[in-house]
Amino acid sequence: MDSDEEDFLFFGTPIEREEEITNRRKKAAAEASGQLRSAPPWKQEVLDEEGRRRFHGAFTGGFSAGYYNTVGSKEGWTPQSFTSSRKNRAEVKQQSIFSFLDEDEKVEMEGQFLGTSSKFDTFGFTAAEYARKQAETEQKQRPSAIPGPVPDELVAPVTESIGVKLLMKMGWRRGRSIKDSHASSIYDARREARKAFLAFADDGKVSQLADSEPVESELGSLIEQPVNDAVWSSQSTTDIYASGYNFEETYVQEDEEQPSSLHTDDKKKLVWKEQGVLPGFKVATNSDYQPERFNPPVIPKDFVPHHKFPGPLETEKKLAISPCPEVPPPDDNNLKILIEGVATLVARCGRLFEDLSREKNQSNPLFSFLSGGNGREYYARKLWEEHQKRDDQTKLSLDGKLSPSMKKMTADSRGKLLGEKPLERSSRDISSTSVTSGVSVNLQHDLSNTFTKPELFNALPEVAKPFKDDPAKQERFERFLKEKYQGGLRSTDSGAASNMSEAARARERLDFEAAAEAIEKGKQGKESNISLQPFVEFSATGGLKFTSGGSEQVKDTQAEDSTVKKIFPRREEFQWRPSPILCKRFDLIDPFMGKPPPAPRMRSKMDSLDSLIFMADSVKATKLGEDVTINRDLPPSQNNSEKITEKVAEQEVKVEVENVERPVDLYKAIFSDDSDDEVDSPNNNKVGDPEKKVEAATTALNRLIAGDFLESLGKELGLEVPPDVPLSTSKSMTPAQKATPNAEALTAKFEDTSSSTLNALGASSINQGVPVSEDASSEHTLTEIELNLENSLRNGSQQTKDVLSKDRDSKVDLEKMAQEDRKDKTSSRHRRNWSNSPSSEDERSRKRSRRHRNRSSDSYSDSSPDSFSDHQGHNHSRSRRKKKSSSREKSGGSRKHSKSHKYRSKDSPSRSSHYDTGKERSQAKKERRKWRD
Amino acid sequence: MSASELPRKEANVLKGHEGAVLAARFNGDGNYCLSCGKDRTIRLWNPHRGIHIKTYKAHGREVRDVHVTPDNSKLCSCGGDRQIFYWDVATGRVIRKFRGHDGEVNAVKFNEYASVVVSAGYDRSLRAWDCRSHSTEPIQIIDTFLDTVMSVCLTKTEIIGGSVDGTVRTFDIRLGRETSDDLGQPVNCISMSNDGNCILASCLDSTLRLLDRSTGELLQEYKGHTCKSFKMDCCLTNTDAHVTSGSEDGTIFFWDLVDASVVSKFRAHASVVTSVSYHPKDDCMITSSVDGTVRVWKT
Repeated sequence: MDSDEEDFLFFGTPIEREEEITNRRKKAAAEASGQLRSAPPWKQEVLDEEGRRRFHGAFTGGFSAGYYNTVGSKEGWTPQSFTSSRKNRAEVKQQSIFSFLDEDEKVEMEGQFLGTSSKFDTFGFTAAEYARKQAETEQKQRPSAIPGPVPDELVAPVTESIGVKLLMKMGWRRGRSIKDSHASSIYDARREARKAFLAFADDGKVSQLADSEPVESELGSLIEQPVNDAVWSSQSTTDIYASGYNFEETYVQEDEEQPSSLHTDDKKKLVWKEQGVLPGFKVATNSDYQPERFNPPVIPKDFVPHHKFPGPLETEKKLAISPCPEVPPPDDNNLKILIEGVATLVARCGRLFEDLSREKNQSNPLFSFLSGGNGREYYARKLWEEHQKRDDQTKLSLDGKLSPSMKKMTADSRGKLLGEKPLERSSRDISSTSVTSGVSVNLQHDLSNTFTKPELFNALPEVAKPFKDDPAKQERFERFLKEKYQGGLRSTDSGAASNMSEAARARERLDFEAAAEAIEKGKQGKESNISLQPFVEFSATGGLKFTSGGSEQVKDTQAEDSTVKKIFPRREEFQWRPSPILCKRFDLIDPFMGKPPPAPRMRSKMDSLDSLIFMADSVKATKLGEDVTINRDLPPSQNNSEKITEKVAEQEVKVEVENVERPVDLYKAIFSDDSDDEVDSPNNNKVGDPEKKVEAATTALNRLIAGDFLESLGKELGLEVPPDVPLSTSKSMTPAQKATPNAEALTAKFEDTSSSTLNALGASSINQGVPVSEDASSEHTLTEIELNLENSLRNGSQQTKDVLSKDRDSKVDLEKMAQEDRKDKTSSRHRRNWSNSPSSEDERSRKRSRRHRNRSSDSYSDSSPDSFSDHQGHNHSRSRRKKKSSSREKSGGSRKHSKSHKYRSKDSPSRSSHYDTGKERSQAKKERRKWRD
Repeated sequence: MSASELPRKEANVLKGHEGAVLAARFNGDGNYCLSCGKDRTIRLWNPHRGIHIKTYKAHGREVRDVHVTPDNSKLCSCGGDRQIFYWDVATGRVIRKFRGHDGEVNAVKFNEYASVVVSAGYDRSLRAWDCRSHSTEPIQIIDTFLDTVMSVCLTKTEIIGGSVDGTVRTFDIRLGRETSDDLGQPVNCISMSNDGNCILASCLDSTLRLLDRSTGELLQEYKGHTCKSFKMDCCLTNTDAHVTSGSEDGTIFFWDLVDASVVSKFRAHASVVTSVSYHPKDDCMITSSVDGTVRVWKT
């Protein structure tokens, strides 16, 4: 360094190295870290980034947050002055959030009230709120005629929000609802359209009509229905300018009606536009300038609500010609003929002809009746009559000739054009009352009409009587027709049978409607000229009859018809329970989640398989049991076990006489699974139903015990054999067939059977009089078994001791076996596909080995969840068996649960207790080994 | 779509099957098709180019139905060997076999997520099989049918089966409800309309019946063809404007959906038309027949 300074010359001030600037800081950091590393916590000091000590102890100044390492302010800390609360007690205040907020917070809060800005205030809530507030404040300032706050309805926003604008752009108009018409309505519309199609198709109309239809209907559905939406109605009506506005629709209407007021309208519009007319609105035509109003038409006194107007010309005529009183014809026959002739002519040609002839024949005295002379009354009468007579004829012939537009626009036809439905009862009632009260004249006219043309009435085609076989109904139908095609007379009793149900009436009405349509259609083809005539005639009479349809019996024939027609397709609904896993796989929520499982259904394959398995096991069990009993009762026979084997073989042959190939499948089923015992059990254990198993077990027992006894014991002991073999054969048939596919399912059962074997074993050994134990736990099962074993031991007490040690050996042996078993589980899995016909002996031995294995495994893992049910099941079966074997001797072996584990090791002794010689024992072991293999 | 746009021109003949072809199905997008038949094979084709792509062999008996997942990765097939085969499309290997039906399996379908295969069997049951787990047990057995179940359709939430007992039963998983529509005639095949609102049921009285699914009412009947003893398919066109089905004399029928008039019919095969499948988007149709061919029809 020194040498450097000597060598070089420096100008200016050297740039200070940053190191030096941050030196202090670094030092502090280093110190801190060093401190941290070295000093104990209480000696460590907190320094700020400058290395200063900012945190002091409570008595040395506290935080430096105060006024420079002091508490308080620049002025220092001053204690609060004391104020006595004696005089001014604390008031009970209504606390609100504001009482806990600082001023600035309050200000913030003020701005935090959520509200849509007027720009986005589609529904005008905020604006309304704001306006109301303002109104309130205003009201406070100046007195108002109406006390209290301004009602909401009077206040409404004026501006238009973006939402509204958008909606408008999208084609929405005010006064319409904003609903999603696409979701359901399209579907509905489609369905309706579909129906309509089909209806059209049924009618045999051309498909082009149908083609055009769907679009139409869909469109119809797309157009939103005007809705009295609360928001909108309030908004529009409460609008300050509401009085000046009308909805466009109404405007259009009025436009039509009053084209004359259009120009004023336009002017108005301009005026209003300046004040911010909403696009959805048009200026009303009748706001201030009241357009000329038309009074409602004055209904003449004798007005008949007879909806079948026969052309304008004729109505005039009819109205002009007032009915005349009946007048006797003049004495002069010539005059009479002349009058009648003229009357006919006039009736035919109109008033004009009368005038003409009057002018022409002014001088002619014969025609004096025209100008008020002799026979005038008669002429008038005749003329009227002729008119009446002609009425329908001319009218109808006219119909044919007149241009279609002129053609009799009745309310009905008009309605049909417009697609209206004919009004129902209400209109009829009105008309009927009006008729009855009003015009008897018309009644007469109708009467006369009818009477003048009886032949027409009779000539009513058969088609028009679709309900011939039911006169009452036919009558109702006629009345219906009359109502449909003609206004006019109604019987005051509105025709419909009063004793008909509303539903029946509705149905009938539909029926009538259909019939009428059919008739009309049929008519239109042939006699379009006089299509309505028969109906007119007919209905006229119908109206005059005033029959009380109600008194007649009603037969709902068409109800029956419809039911016959509607048999297919027939819809039924049931509950169905999808499995939870299915729901999961379909990504749906299980509708039955959390609900208890359904009651077990009828026996399925699984159950029968159960029975199968049990059969097998119980066979063994019983056999063992029998052995025990035999041993107890009889002196132990030398070749007991061998004998058993033989017997079993025999028995199998014998039992399976009916179903020869069964055993093969049966065993196949069994062996296909035995490997999977422990593997699949957790999944499948739940399937097992104790009761089913009990059943299965008992049936199996019934059958196999029978065979067993028959062969092995029956002869020796003279026991009775329950002969219910055939039943079980039929049962076992299906399982055998279905065995393979359900192999997996079976495995579960095998787990069960393992424990059940144990049970059965124990049970069989004590089934002589041991009460059935219903209590449940695998522990108990074991206990019981051991108990049973004990019993059996007791019986063969003399052998017990020396056997005991051997049994331990055997038990160990078994344990080993179990382990082995587990090991070769996987390999044995493949056994499922074993050949179908191993020798029965082979099978049997395997079966046994399995049993042993199971037993041993059970002694290890006796906590299988199923053991309870099995246990129960076996108890049941045992009890049954007990009954069966009641003929056998009983031992009063009372159960004691307390003696449990002590005897655990004795379970094999119990079995082997009857092998009283060592040779036999070894033999048994050998056998066992063989089975294992 | 007017009647003139119906696929009536034969575009391709797919030959390869020995013996009757029992079913032909388009895949989800209509670019490929699958056929299966008495020769125990399933064949994958490109119908538009008329190319045979792959053959899947494993079935031991005739293959009656085949279905492909929406992603085209898996197949399921069923047939006379009472098993449902679950295939990998690319490798052509069987991934899994589902056993459990006690008789021939008539129809098979994937659900929307391809997680479940639902099969309809001669044993009067519908069975649902889980493709996700390794279990070969059916996860659901529906055995309310009184007779052979011939056909099955799946929606997102429902399983619909048509049976020879004359019923079309809808099992709504979401509601836990079974709806049975009794048509009174053995149902041979059911097919959903593309809008999902209708079911077309081919009955063995040579009548197709169109049912409204929501109400169960019979909307229309289509007659003219012969369908008395064969398992034959029916379907709606992609626009739902027409109904199509084969006939036992080898003709193809098109009906107008609405007025049930025969819009078109033409002789397509020498023998019974076993299956018809309509392209999901285009005016294209494939038909299979007992004569051993699959034919592709275009406008």
